[in-house]
This record gives sequence, C-alpha cells and structure tokens, in this order.
Amino acid sequence: MRLPDSPETFMAKKYDVIVIGGGHNGLVNAAYLAKAGKKVLVLEKRYVLGGAAVTEEIIPGFKFSVYSYVVSLLRPEIIRDLDLPRHGLEILPLDGTITPMANGDYLWRQNDHGKTRRELERHSKLDAEAYEEFGKSMVAMCRFVKPILAMIPPDPTSLDPRDLKKLAFLGKRFQNLEAEDKYNLVQLMTMSAADFLDQWFETDALKATMSASGIIGTFLGIRSPGTAYVLLHHYMGEIDGAFRSWGFSRGGTGAISNAIGAAAVEAGVEIRKEASVAKILIKNGVASGVVLEGSGEEIYADIISSSVDPNLTFLKFIEERQLPGDFLEDVRRYKYRGSSGKVNLALDGLPDFTCLPGPGHHLRGAISISPSMEYMERAYDQAKYGEFSRRPYIDMVIPSLTDPSVAPPGKHILSCFVQYAPYKLASGTWDEQREAFGNTVIDTISQYAPNLKSLIIGKQFITPLDIERTTGLTEGNIFQGELSLEQLFFLRPAAGWARYRTPIKKLYMCGSATHPGGGIMGAPGRLAALEILKDSGRS
Amino acid sequence: MPAPASGQRDILVLGGGHNALVAAFYLAKKGHKPLILERRHIIGGAAVTEEFFPGFKCSTVAHAGGPPLAAIVKDMQLARHGLQKLESPIRIIAPNPDGRALTLYTDAQRSAEDIKRFSQKDAANYLDFSASLARIAGIAAQLMELTPPVIEKPSKEDIWKFLKVGRKVRGLGKKEMMRLIRWGPMAAADFVAEFFETDLLLAVVAARGIYGAALGPWSAGSTLLLLLRAAADPYPVGNSAYPRGGMGALTAAMAAAAKEAGVEIRTNAEVTQILVKDGKVTGVVLAGGEQIAAKAVVSGADPQRTLLSLLDPVHLPPSFVVKMRNYRANGTAAKVNVALDALPNFAALKNSSATDAAASLAGRIHIGPGIDYLERAFDHSKYGEFSPAPYLDISIPSLLDNTLAPAGKHVMSIYMQFAPYQLKSGNWPQHRDALRDAVINTVAQYAPDFAQKILGVQTLTPADLEATYGLTGGHPFHGELALDQIFTMRPLLGWARYATPVKNLYLCGNGTHPGNGVTGVSGHNSAREIAKHLR
Repeated sequence: MRLPDSPETFMAKKYDVIVIGGGHNGLVNAAYLAKAGKKVLVLEKRYVLGGAAVTEEIIPGFKFSVYSYVVSLLRPEIIRDLDLPRHGLEILPLDGTITPMANGDYLWRQNDHGKTRRELERHSKLDAEAYEEFGKSMVAMCRFVKPILAMIPPDPTSLDPRDLKKLAFLGKRFQNLEAEDKYNLVQLMTMSAADFLDQWFETDALKATMSASGIIGTFLGIRSPGTAYVLLHHYMGEIDGAFRSWGFSRGGTGAISNAIGAAAVEAGVEIRKEASVAKILIKNGVASGVVLEGSGEEIYADIISSSVDPNLTFLKFIEERQLPGDFLEDVRRYKYRGSSGKVNLALDGLPDFTCLPGPGHHLRGAISISPSMEYMERAYDQAKYGEFSRRPYIDMVIPSLTDPSVAPPGKHILSCFVQYAPYKLASGTWDEQREAFGNTVIDTISQYAPNLKSLIIGKQFITPLDIERTTGLTEGNIFQGELSLEQLFFLRPAAGWARYRTPIKKLYMCGSATHPGGGIMGAPGRLAALEILKDSGRS
Repeated sequence: MPAPASGQRDILVLGGGHNALVAAFYLAKKGHKPLILERRHIIGGAAVTEEFFPGFKCSTVAHAGGPPLAAIVKDMQLARHGLQKLESPIRIIAPNPDGRALTLYTDAQRSAEDIKRFSQKDAANYLDFSASLARIAGIAAQLMELTPPVIEKPSKEDIWKFLKVGRKVRGLGKKEMMRLIRWGPMAAADFVAEFFETDLLLAVVAARGIYGAALGPWSAGSTLLLLLRAAADPYPVGNSAYPRGGMGALTAAMAAAAKEAGVEIRTNAEVTQILVKDGKVTGVVLAGGEQIAAKAVVSGADPQRTLLSLLDPVHLPPSFVVKMRNYRANGTAAKVNVALDALPNFAALKNSSATDAAASLAGRIHIGPGIDYLERAFDHSKYGEFSPAPYLDISIPSLLDNTLAPAGKHVMSIYMQFAPYQLKSGNWPQHRDALRDAVINTVAQYAPDFAQKILGVQTLTPADLEATYGLTGGHPFHGELALDQIFTMRPLLGWARYATPVKNLYLCGNGTHPGNGVTGVSGHNSAREIAKHLR
C-alpha cells in the first residue's frame, strides 16, 4: 500500500513534460510537444508570459515592449505550424532606418528600393552601386546559413555516420557556392563587421549603422573579429517573405508570446504563471520533476525541458555533484556579459529631429544613433573597462505610430535599445547608476531631437541588472549567452552538449543558449522539441 | 625603351629575406639555378644585423627567431655555415608596477615555482597549461608544413595528408579536440583567463596573441595567433634564443648555404617591375632599367607589393585585384634600438627570483603588466594614434653575445606596439621623436636610470619599416595573421598554394601560409610546390 500523500498516487497530476520558463522558446517547445500528443506543463515565474518578449503597461495607458522591441527572426515554419496569425499574431512593417549624421544631414534607407538607391546616391554613387551587390551577396549567404539554423548541430569529433553525413552536407553546400560567395562566406564567419563593410562601402554613417547589427546583444565592438557573423544572423530577417521584413508585432512583442501561448493552450498545454522553479529533482541521474519556490510544491514529469539559461538550469536548479566536472567547467565558463539596456519613454508628442524636421514617414522606421564607425567603437571602448557608454549606440522605434493600440490618442512611445551597458561595472552598482544611464540616453537623443525632454511624461530605465532580476536572464544577456564564434553551433552552450540534451537523463535545454541562439526566433524551442520527441519515441 | 635583356635566367627570386633564401636553397637542391635579387646592400630582409650607432649592432627589425624550422636548420646545415645559437634559460621577465617581477623559464617547473610567488593556483595550472598547449601545438605544427588544400576540389594527396593530421587530432581525445576548435576564435584574454588569475601572468601569455597584429587581447581570434606561435615553439611564451651576431647571422648562414647549393645572389638590385606576356611571367626590370628574362619569378616580397605594385594589375582578374587591395596589411609595430653605456637597473629585479641581473635580463623583457594595459595600448591605434603607454617586447642580446657592442656596453632592441601605419593626423617623420620618447619613458618607469645610460637611438616607425625594408604598410608579417587571412586564405582564398593568377609567378614570403615570423616555413613549403609546377 502506498501512502495517500505519495506523489505517485496522483497519476493525474503527472505530466509527460515540464517546460521551465514561459518565454517564446519555452512556449514554442511546449506547443510542438503538445501537438505531438504530450501532456505538457509550462512553469513561468512571472505574472506575465513571454520572458524577454513581453508587453507591460508600466505607465497607465502606455504599453511598453519592455525588453525586446522589434521582430524579424521568428521562423516562418513556426508561424505556419502553430498557426500564429489565427492566434492573434500580426506583424506590422517597420519602414527602414534613418541615421542622423554629425554634420546635420541624415541617411535614410527605406523599404522602397528606388528611394533607398537615390538616397545612397546622394551620399556616394559607389555606395549606391555596392549596396545592391551587397544585398544580393547577403541573400546568397543567408541561403547557405538558413538550413544550418534548422539543423541539429553535428559533433565534429564523432565518427558517427549521421554526424559525418551532416558535416559532409555542409562541406558539399560550401563547395557548391560560387567562388565569390565562398570568399564572402569565409570572411563573414571570421571578420569584424567593420572590416567586412569597409570592403564594400565608403559612407561612414552607412557603415556604422550597418555594422551595428554585428554587435547587438554582444560584448564586442564593430572592430572585433566574429561580428560579421552576427551581422548575418540579423540580416536573416530580410529573406523570409518580403525584403527587409523587420517589423512590429501589434500589441507589442508580448503579443507574439501571447499568440504562441494561445497556440500552446489550444494544443493542450497547461500554463502556470507565478510558478518559479527552485530545484530540478534528479533521481539516480534521471530528471524526474521540479520543486517550486516558496510553496516547495513538487511536480513530477517524465521529461524536463528547460528554456532558461545554463547558469540557472545547471548551477542554480541542480546540485553540483549531479554533474560531471568537465561539463560544470564548461557551464561556468560560458559567457553571458550582458551589454545592453533599454530606455522606454512615454511621450506627449513626436520627437522632432533636426536633420529632418516634422512628423514625417521617417519616424515610422528605426532611428539609429550611429553617426560614425569611430563613435561606435568608442562606445565599446568604455564598456570594456566597465563603464556604460557616455555616447551610446541607440536603436529606437516609435511603435505607437504604426500601432496606435499601445498608447493613448496623440501620445507616443519611444522604445530605445541602448548599447553598451556592461553588466559588470568597474565602480558602483547599477542601482546607483540607473538614473545616470537613462539620462545619458535622453541627453544623447536630445542632441539630435532637441524637443525630446519637453515631451517626456513617463520613463522606464532598464539596466542589465534589471533584465537579470526581472526575466532571470543571467547578467542581463538578451541572447542567453554571447553570440561569439566559440559559443555557436556545436559549441553552444558547451562542446559535446549542443543537441539540446544534457548530462542528466530526461533533462533537455530548449532556450536561446542552444543552437541557433538568440533573438525572437523560436528555432531552439522547435529543434529541442523535435529531439525530445525523437528520444521519447525510441524509449 | 628598357635596356636589352641580359640573357634568359631560370628562376628569379625577389628579395633576400629568410624565406626567399630558404626557397632558393631548396629550388637549387632540385636542380634549378635561382638568382636572388635584393634591393638593399645587404641580404636578410627583416632578419638583419646592422650597425645603428657607431660600434653598436643589433637585429634592427626582427629580434628573435620563430624559431627556424628544424628541418631547414638541418637541410641547410646552418651550423656549418656559421650559425651559433645563444640561449637564455629565462624566456621572459615581466616587471610589474608594484615592484615585483615575474620570470618564466623554458623549464615549466621552474616557471611554476616563480608563479607561486603570485598565485598557488596559477602555478599549478601553469603546468597543465604548458602540457596541453604543447600537445595542441604539436598538431598545429603539422598543419604549418602542409600546403593548404584546394577547398573546391581537394586532391587525393590533400585528402591523404589531411587525414593523417586528422588522425593525430583524433589522438588528442575528445576534450582537447574540442579545445582546439573552441580556442581558435577566442579572445586571448578569455583564453588565458580559463587558466590563470594573476593579471601580470595573463598579460604575458596573452601578449603572444597580439604580437605584430592589429589586435588587442580582447579581440576575438587573438588566441589563434597565440596558437600559431606555439606551433612553431610549443611553450606558453616566445623563445629567448638568438643567433650569435644577431638575426643577420642567421640569414648570412642561409645565404652561404644557398650559394653552396648553386644560388646566385645580387644585392643592390631593386626590381621595379615584373614582366608578363600572355598571362605568363617573362622576367623583371631592375631600377637601373636592366631587364632580366626568366622562366619563373618567385617573390619573397609581400603579396600587395608583388601583385599590386611590381605587377601591372591588368594582368590579374579584376576581382582578384579588389580582394588583394582588401588584404589587411597595415602594421601596428615600431622598433626602437638603443645603444647603452651600461646595463640599466630594473628596479623589479630586487624583488624577483633573480640572483644575477645580467642573467635575468638575458631573455625577453615584457612591458605590459595587465590585460587592460595591453588593451588600452591597442585602443589608441584604432583611432590612428600611437600608444602613450605601449606594450614593449625588449631584448638585450649583448648580454649573451659579445659581438654586438663594445666591452661593458650594451644594445637594447625594443619592439613596440601599438604604432598604427595610418596616423589620424600628421605623418610619421613628424611623430618619430614623440614615439621614441614614449618608448623611453615607458622603459624608464621600470628602469629609472635608463635615460642616463643611452648613447644613441634608432627609431623605426611603420613608415620606416615600409620605406627601408619594403614591408607594405610596415607590417612585420606581410599582412595580418587573422582568422580570415590564414591557411587556405593566406593571402587569399583559392590562392594559398604559393601560385598566383600569373603563370610562373609565385609567392614564398610571410604573406603565404603559414607566414609565422622567422621560421622559414613559407619558403620551405613554396619551394616544394614551385618545384612540382616547374618540373
């Protein structure tokens, strides 16, 4: 006879899979598993779903996309498989990027091909020519890389025929590239964004703004080798569907999470909010459940799939002695180094940019404070020594122009992504420096839009420490770990553990810390689900 | 009209640097009759000994060997031709601003003993690190001697050679195999931090990854450079072996060996043009107008000088020209050579494990006491300024070698980083003295009596390295050794097998694989390929 309070008696309470974390990857993972017939429980520690892709009404009437702010990378197969538009996903176009320049001029690239060409010609005829070639070349590169994003990373040290086949597939694809594309690809994988772009263009503001995609979310400067790859990672958004398909999601980035959440629930997923995991239960080297924070409630499942980062999964939720030494070493070494912050402003009207006055169409795109390569690199230099940039790189959008649902009539939201804000400060704490950081951002933007300060009716300053505290992302890294070459593909998050499995049986990883990495892409969640299903089919 | 041709030659070798000498030697051994054309009055290229101040000689540019590949030393019988190796058991001494100094020996155990004064943990890890680095460097060393395979269509031979290396790699075991893959693209600062905690030790080891490069320790890929150096010399820090008579004695021995093998050498013979007809090389034109016809031309000069300046680019495919222009070869290094009345007193020696000042300074002296220090030195170069507090790699070869300075006096060879070839404002002649002063002041912080001991100084800025030694961009390694410019990509992807788009025009210098300092491996590899082609 079993005791009545023994968990095994509550068979109905037992799940096939518990997914830790209700961010977009956790939800994608859960939805795919449920669609394959698994009984899935998602545990989210906050009151709201989405992790770093949330919309919150911080100031009454203003719905901020608190952390992430634009969307482009969400895998089309996920949108299709989960039927996300039916669940409320609506992507609104983000039209181009304008860069105010130091000399009072601007550089405005729009979705309209002809307009962009004429604009580039205004700055440099050569650049206008090169821009088209560059676009073609990047599309070819993206075509090469795209299948890798949907591939379970092979183990290059293994002699398993399946791994060898994958490596041979990659080799063959590479061989089939045109000679020029081969050359470009090798450069992209190894060079710095600045060196790479220097080969193509001459207009400083153009190179600076383009190179910014190479450093977003990394602790690298535009002159750091390896950043050209990150540039490609972000460029990927330009090939699915229309050219340059960066966009807003109606209702903010939280609406994406809500749509995925709705699809998951429809597939039978149970979601519990305000359920923070404290421990992963392990019995004889096999994961068997989780313990919740506070209540100490134990929930059991056959499989645990963690969408949170390796630091939380392995160093917080699991006791050291459960893990092999080499793996622990790798997990401890895995680099986070959050480098960005966010400033969200509630505005009484529209900012007026000196370089292009008035409320024009340019405000519907991204506004990039990246006037020169030197500006970008100097911003990085300060961060290297533990200070936030006194003149940071800022990428901002005014989502309320395209999506009036996020702000009261006539009012607006200015959503600013800011880099660099290093998690580790050389002196003082982020709690002491938060105000100074936010004011630096406002001052910087005011140099280009002097009326900004008079418009501000509410503000939210988010430091990497705040990102960590609220979302759980270690060191505030928005990609759950640096996208540096030694942490990509079969090395993400650790050599030998890049296939969503872990040294603990029945414990899987499904977050951005696994291949192919961060951004609101959903690919890790999907690929992990496929691997989990493969394993559970076998047993 | 150019002067009449002086008869058809077999192979012309442009430049008399160490790689050119090695290539010419091996080609002569294969039955060819190479003629070396050196534009200066002495052979040696950047591996020369020159009197820079009356009575004082030193290795004016490169001051230590890579070291030369053992096979080359043996094949060329360099010892018989006068090469005498002087070696200090101390590889590096690094003074710290706190008055202490770290000493690293060739013997890892002795190094670990010294590291103990800073950190017990680092001392223990140093032994592991040395061993692991040596194992991985052993594998990398084999890649150095390989002709990079054709990526598009590897030949059977390529595949076979690769599999052979592959088997060795597999022998490392899974953990070290992954290490090999993971380490390459890392920043040297991250790499060393996986083993050590003492900032001075971190900087001393990481410096090997930025030596001669436009990289700081926080630049991704600097670990690769460190591993490349370790492949030639499998220790955590660079070697402290000098040829008696300076680097010029090494190239003199090579020249003697080459001559004995049948190579002819002409100095004061500056090539101004490589002649091409119907896509095939036909000869060269010298500065005086003299034309020399030849079957083949092998250039020891850097790729950009060879292909963009000596050759009319009309002979090259336009896309090749664009890529060659984009080849990165802007140097960041300068040299300051100092004649000294006596040995300066390094304050930190009082607080090191040293017993005898002369012996402890006989290796290299590393100035660059922390990772941030090195990174800040690099920062300036990004904006076209030289570092006011530079990273210095110093040698005082006269401590081991009495042929370089009058008795009791010394020469100090200071390799300085970072001095960018392209300055934001002004030109190098205007800044030469300021650069010299920055270097002298930096040394004086560790050896307060340094300035009083100075008799004479020679300062070589990147502009001087270009003008005097023919190094385009003043780059000591004929182009950046970065992830995108090594192995099958050195100098360009598809052109890493020493041949060029012009038939019978070859490269044999540091701008080809492995291009790793004074090792001679590029010359050695290229001769093998060229001999095959010309057969």
